[in-house]
Amino acid sequence: MSLALSTLIYEWRRYMAAVVALAFSGLLILAQVGMFMGIGRAFTAQIDRARADVMILAPGATGLGNGPSGVPRRILPTIYRHPDVVQVAPLDGSGGRFQNIVPADEAAEAQNPNQRTGAEGQGGGQQGGERRRMEFVNVTVVDPIPGYVTVPTDYSDELLEALRRPYAVAVDETALRRLGVQLGDKALYNGKTIEIAAVTRGYPNMMQATLIMSRDTLRMLGEADTGPRVGPLMVKLRDASRADAVAAQLNAQAGGQYRAWTRTELARANANLMFQEQIIGVMLGFSVFLGLLIGIAITWQTLRGAIMANIKEFASLRALGVSMPSLRRVIMELSFWVGVAGILAAGALTWGVGLLAGANGVPMAFSAFWIGMVSVLLLIIAIASGFLSLGVLKNSQPADLLR
Amino acid sequence: MTPKSTISGRHGEVAVAAEGLIKRFKTGRTTIEVLKGVDFDARHGDLTMVMGPSGSGKSTLIAALSGLLRPDEGKVAALDQPNLWKLSDGKIDRFRLEHCGFIFQGFNLFPALTALQQVTTVLGYQGAEKGEARQRAKAALEEVGLGPRMNQRPSELSGGEKQRVAIARCLAKNPQLLFADEPTSALDGENGQVVVRLLRRAATEHGAAVVCVTHDPRLEAWADRIIRIEDGRILEDQRRTPDPNATLSH
Repeated sequence: MSLALSTLIYEWRRYMAAVVALAFSGLLILAQVGMFMGIGRAFTAQIDRARADVMILAPGATGLGNGPSGVPRRILPTIYRHPDVVQVAPLDGSGGRFQNIVPADEAAEAQNPNQRTGAEGQGGGQQGGERRRMEFVNVTVVDPIPGYVTVPTDYSDELLEALRRPYAVAVDETALRRLGVQLGDKALYNGKTIEIAAVTRGYPNMMQATLIMSRDTLRMLGEADTGPRVGPLMVKLRDASRADAVAAQLNAQAGGQYRAWTRTELARANANLMFQEQIIGVMLGFSVFLGLLIGIAITWQTLRGAIMANIKEFASLRALGVSMPSLRRVIMELSFWVGVAGILAAGALTWGVGLLAGANGVPMAFSAFWIGMVSVLLLIIAIASGFLSLGVLKNSQPADLLR
Repeated sequence: MTPKSTISGRHGEVAVAAEGLIKRFKTGRTTIEVLKGVDFDARHGDLTMVMGPSGSGKSTLIAALSGLLRPDEGKVAALDQPNLWKLSDGKIDRFRLEHCGFIFQGFNLFPALTALQQVTTVLGYQGAEKGEARQRAKAALEEVGLGPRMNQRPSELSGGEKQRVAIARCLAKNPQLLFADEPTSALDGENGQVVVRLLRRAATEHGAAVVCVTHDPRLEAWADRIIRIEDGRILEDQRRTPDPNATLSH
């Protein structure tokens, strides 16, 4: 084991501040990226987990829900003509005003919590203590047939069965509190009574809550697409591994009327769109800058201190004829290993924060690309700090050891 | 690279010689002349003691002799280098790496390294291969009597043992010039004796020119030559026969 690595391991307490600084710099960036990506995924969770292998979007769309959306209805049968296609269904959705239903007397009580004793009245989600809520919600449609192309892969048959009932909707568990409803409650959607028939897990929505309902329910609510245009088409293939080829063939015959995307292509495009949002770019850029600044400042000072603590030993090596460039290499190697330790610590920390966030319904997602980027950034911080610390070696004057 | 075998048959030859060394230090506005034209030489196989009160310039002398501190005037000839201070800094480093050993009052061992690693690290910088470095390091540690403790870190070693590791670190390089600065002053009598005997042996058996700075008069017993320095000048240069069975006790 090299001198640098042995020193880092044996005197880890000395280097702890640097490792922790790097870890938090990494966390600062990774957690934000993870959160943004998580939000992005949540927006499209239904797509990512759909059974569709290919999705047909309007030409010019740069992602799902970005740019022109939907295609002419007559495209639908032309897609069926491809021999690999087994199912085609348009994605349909809507949106509107959601209200929970609270009996009048309870609502009155809840509006005046002062008249109640204890914290009972504050208990959000508790039946009886619920306030009247009005929220705007999105609606997404599935065809409640097991294994159908619009049904996410993780929907259970029980969930589909519940959705088959008229006016039945499913909401994600993370939206229950916001909507002020419980499983089995009745509520109003655009003034019509619906029933919370199922609760999903793993479909958090950061901006607006989403109601999942069957295509028939949406039709009965009077909001289904019946006109000449339908939403993006979900296409299921006989053989999912042919998605790339089929998408290419469909595009070749599109004639500018649509564009076929494979699911992975679309997922990537959606994730990238997220980071093109200006405010997110600014926030991330600022975080990277802040992480860089704080990371370098603390790592540099820690390294300096730690090297100063061993300066006499370095000086004795100088006396024995070890050259300055060799000692510089020791410092650079040391900072490299501090960087590696920082990356591991950042990974552990981010993993912990990710678990915590997941447990509280905030989705986080990490891509190999961003983990790689942040790792490289942390290494750069560590090595830059090492460079800055090289000046300390000037103090390793062996003549000072002679008294 | 220096061969494993000890240098012998050169006993008595001059290893390092200095002429007219002058070194001044500035403290504030005043300049102090620490070395005032010192002529000095040390021979292979000799344990040369440089003695004098503190502030007499003895440490500055060995710093100038060994290529650690550039003198303001004067010339140092060491081994095959006719004028050490004419070399570039890199070459002086190289010269020290190949030929010089240092033992300081403080032991200056890396806390993270075992005794064996302290020695092999330096040998590695000298260019020795891993296996060879290990072997030479083991031999050196055996020589200073630390064979059984070579996997201990400094925190697990006593002061005397630490100094012996520092000596092993030098001896493994097989230096022809060995400089020691107050090597026993941080040690008790027993350990001091072990250390001075090792220095004695480096001179007699390895043929190194050992220059030892001390103000401890009891070390005189082991010396071949005693040079007294005071106020930047050599007062006395005396040859004597060392007593290998001398004892040092407090």
